[in-house]
Amino acid sequence: MRKFAISTILVFIFSVISVPLVMAQAKPAPGGKEPITIGAIYDFAGPCYMYSESAINGVRIAMEEINSKGGILGRKLDMIVRDTEAKVDVGARETKDLILREKVNFLMGPCSSGVSLAMLVVHSEYKVMRVVGIANTEAMTVDKFTPYIFQVVPNTYMEATANTRYLMRKIPTAKKFCTIGPDYEFGRREELAFSEEIKRLVPDAEILYQAWPKPGETDFTSFITAIMAKKPDAVHGSLFGGDLVAFAKQAKPYGFFEKYPTIALFDLPVLLALGEDAPDGTFGFGRGCFFMDPNAKMMEFVQKFRKARGAYPDSWSVMAYDTIYLIKAAIEKAKSVETEAVIKAMEGITFDSLRGKFTIRALDHMGTVPCYQGTIAKDPAYPGFKIWKDISRIPGDQVIRPEASVREIWKKAGVVR
Amino acid sequence: MSFDVLFNQFMSGIARGALLFLVASGLSLTFGVLRVLNFAHGSIYMLGAFITYSIWKHLLIPVVGFYVATILASLIMAGIGILIEFFLLRRLYARGWPEQLLATYAVIMIITDVVKWGWGGEFLSIPRPKPFTGAVFLFGFPFPSYNFFIILLGLALVVFLWWLVYRTRLGDIIRAAASDREMVSALGIPIPWLFTWIFVLGSLIAGLSGAVSAPFGAIRLGMDIEIIVECFAVVVIGGMGSLPGTLLGSLIVGQVYSFGVMYKPEMALAFIFIVMAIVLIIRPWGIFGRPER
Amino acid sequence: MHVKQLEQKGLVMKRAGWLVLFIIAAIGAPFVLSEFYLAILGEALIMSLLALSFNLLFGSMGQLSFGQAAFYGLSGYTVAMLITKVHFNFWLTLLAGILMASILGLVIGYFCVRLRGIYFSILTLAFGQLLFFVIYKWHDFTGGDDGIQGVFPPDLLKSPINYYFFILVVFIFSTFILWRIVHSPFGYTLQSMRENSERTEFLGINIAKYQLMAFVIAAGYAGLAGVLWAPFYRSMAPSSLFWIKSGEPVMAAILGGPSLFFGPILGMFIMTFFHAWVLGFTVFWPVIMGALILVVIFFLPGGILGFIEEKLKKKREKTWQEIANFK
Repeated sequence: MRKFAISTILVFIFSVISVPLVMAQAKPAPGGKEPITIGAIYDFAGPCYMYSESAINGVRIAMEEINSKGGILGRKLDMIVRDTEAKVDVGARETKDLILREKVNFLMGPCSSGVSLAMLVVHSEYKVMRVVGIANTEAMTVDKFTPYIFQVVPNTYMEATANTRYLMRKIPTAKKFCTIGPDYEFGRREELAFSEEIKRLVPDAEILYQAWPKPGETDFTSFITAIMAKKPDAVHGSLFGGDLVAFAKQAKPYGFFEKYPTIALFDLPVLLALGEDAPDGTFGFGRGCFFMDPNAKMMEFVQKFRKARGAYPDSWSVMAYDTIYLIKAAIEKAKSVETEAVIKAMEGITFDSLRGKFTIRALDHMGTVPCYQGTIAKDPAYPGFKIWKDISRIPGDQVIRPEASVREIWKKAGVVR
Repeated sequence: MSFDVLFNQFMSGIARGALLFLVASGLSLTFGVLRVLNFAHGSIYMLGAFITYSIWKHLLIPVVGFYVATILASLIMAGIGILIEFFLLRRLYARGWPEQLLATYAVIMIITDVVKWGWGGEFLSIPRPKPFTGAVFLFGFPFPSYNFFIILLGLALVVFLWWLVYRTRLGDIIRAAASDREMVSALGIPIPWLFTWIFVLGSLIAGLSGAVSAPFGAIRLGMDIEIIVECFAVVVIGGMGSLPGTLLGSLIVGQVYSFGVMYKPEMALAFIFIVMAIVLIIRPWGIFGRPER
Repeated sequence: MHVKQLEQKGLVMKRAGWLVLFIIAAIGAPFVLSEFYLAILGEALIMSLLALSFNLLFGSMGQLSFGQAAFYGLSGYTVAMLITKVHFNFWLTLLAGILMASILGLVIGYFCVRLRGIYFSILTLAFGQLLFFVIYKWHDFTGGDDGIQGVFPPDLLKSPINYYFFILVVFIFSTFILWRIVHSPFGYTLQSMRENSERTEFLGINIAKYQLMAFVIAAGYAGLAGVLWAPFYRSMAPSSLFWIKSGEPVMAAILGGPSLFFGPILGMFIMTFFHAWVLGFTVFWPVIMGALILVVIFFLPGGILGFIEEKLKKKREKTWQEIANFK
């Protein structure tokens, strides 16, 4: 029984000691005008790690630029980074941390769609707004919508609709398809949107087989041979990152890409990793890295990024950079950092980004951001990795889900707006 | 389903099984002799892959570069195995197996961050080395030659381990220690020395499989957790500590996955867990395992 | 003898005093701590229940379960789905959650208790992963990797302070019950099974039956943690059932000391606060946690409380020695 007593008091002592340790974390406000703080919650674990890093890099450059020009409304911009460990419960807790302890003004991130949705409930309850630049499940602005979320990355519906059109433009006679997507929310949504769009474009289209490798799959051989057994006219894929690298390498010796025209998320990190292994003539889609949209503003950003980081910016750095400037534009339009005022200012705002102009739709806070597609090819200007040619930029308003459709889903999901 | 399609799925399953055997054999060996289920085995595999990449990238020797990197990386991982065994596990043999298990769990976490810190979150890739870049043709269907390389390597490992365990003195000691550790010690064979050797061998094999898997797919964070879960399934089904069992388990898991993918891709991994659970319920020590601790 | 009896009485008084102190501190916490730390404290309390559930099997029975998160996750999902899809009565969903976890414990436990040692652990891990898989893949029903959001407690409990008190009350009450269970003839039988299972069997005890009962109770307590969690953070996700999550109560128990009832609670408190602190300035939490585990394993065998207990025991023995010499 003495154990009981000792234990009780020790539990108490340790918790009391830990608490001030945790409290010591809170930063005192610097003298003078308080900075505007952005809480950047990203997933620094697993496949999401590198996208999160890219995003933070993009934010840093934007912040430095803005602060060197006097900040926003005369206040400096500050960023606090938090890691969700790609875990939903940690993500929800860190959201609370940023809101309650660090008292951030706005939130950004994360990469994982599941974490994003869990976070959404938390910060909506506390009435803090967030802009998402990586996680792109449509669920955020449709099924689980709250007014406190904004999306500047093309959502799964827009992206798949756009890349389906490109695929059909390139292979107009295709009627039989196979799909391969990672078996989780993102992959399922993309392939669902593909199957809807393909039926619209090609009424007698047939989807012969749908491969669902698990996210993080190491060996796609069985899926490759299963698809080849069906002999499709084209293959629609939503594989990305490490999965796509493994898949591309494993499919190559089969002559897969020559026999079966394929489209998948062949963006900068994948092309960098694959190098010469990247399949020429295969189609890729992405969200806006430098070679997808080499306009003047973008190339200027590339210079800055290369100087600061010694590397080329990928889509995630680009979108994170855009996010900061978008928030800046909204704050300046509202002339305030109050959440409700900024939300109002964001709704309907037209913003000139690195990816061209887009609007934040007032109804569902979805940005009419462009979707990019292209064909993999070598460009002598960039030794070491391949990029795209025949680049297509489909503006967001051409592929965004019509408002009527959104309202219909809201009615079923019980979202009230 | 035509024959060549079925045959191709079968061969895919063999290739997958071969890679699994490469990784799981080290795990099984370690458990058989040391009675330690090394959770960190997958982490050694992952670290082996990353180190191979760095060496390969540094050397930049065409063709041979990869093989040299593989050998070097395997040796480095063997060295890491020495460190882990000597500084961590050795002091825990007197304690219970829960502490040993937890220590290997801690090693997973440490190696994860080492990789994060050393290579960042990028995923990396090594192209397939010559002469295994293309495909061979079986029944008119192409089969990647690198997969053949892995299968051959798996076979070589089977032969090597069989020779080691059944044809050498060390092998006799291994088998004796697996049955009765105290007796072996009583016979004057220094058990700590034996354990270190076995653990190092296991780490060497893990590092080698990591190196070999690099050109196969992608090198990235999280590959340790991915592989260790499948390895558990393999050793559980085949029998922990039994090398024939591990071979059988790898082949079974490889085929179940391969044909699962063809008929019901979303459930492929679930089938493996179901088989695993069934084996544990009916015959917990696995097909070739022995009913001891 | 006489002196010993006096000392026992003194201990009883001291013990009750410390307990009251703890309860006062816990009640006073919301008025001293800010909302965020209160949330961390709430999290620590909930997770301590999970750690206690693990230790019922480990500390008492010597069986290391690597699947407690499965029961925690299942009950959390039960609550989440009943509240969001059916709008069930909140209190009934809590009971339903615990019930589901216990039933699952019965089913899984039936197979697991026939095994010992590492095989027991692996089977719990396998079943846990299987359940994770089912929830992850059955996205039409469970939302898949998205999880379920919008799990709100009744208005009365929505405010952080009220929900904290709810957690605290449930925690104190259930911990007390568990303490009684562990210190009952049933509990002592479990311990005898850990010490010497053969002998216990010879005494006529049906080991499998006792182990199964313990397994179900442990599952129920893990389920209790789950039903408190879901409305707390308003959501559930499949990652709550992954085997890595099951490792957390293991670490907490080893950290705090598995041989003492309150060890896991201490361990979990330290882990939770430490985790929140470390994440405040770095993403390299895994290496820090891994190092902490190794430090405890090597330098504090028996965990923190176990270590302190040893020290106090030595001191006590020394005192008795001195008293004996005095006589």
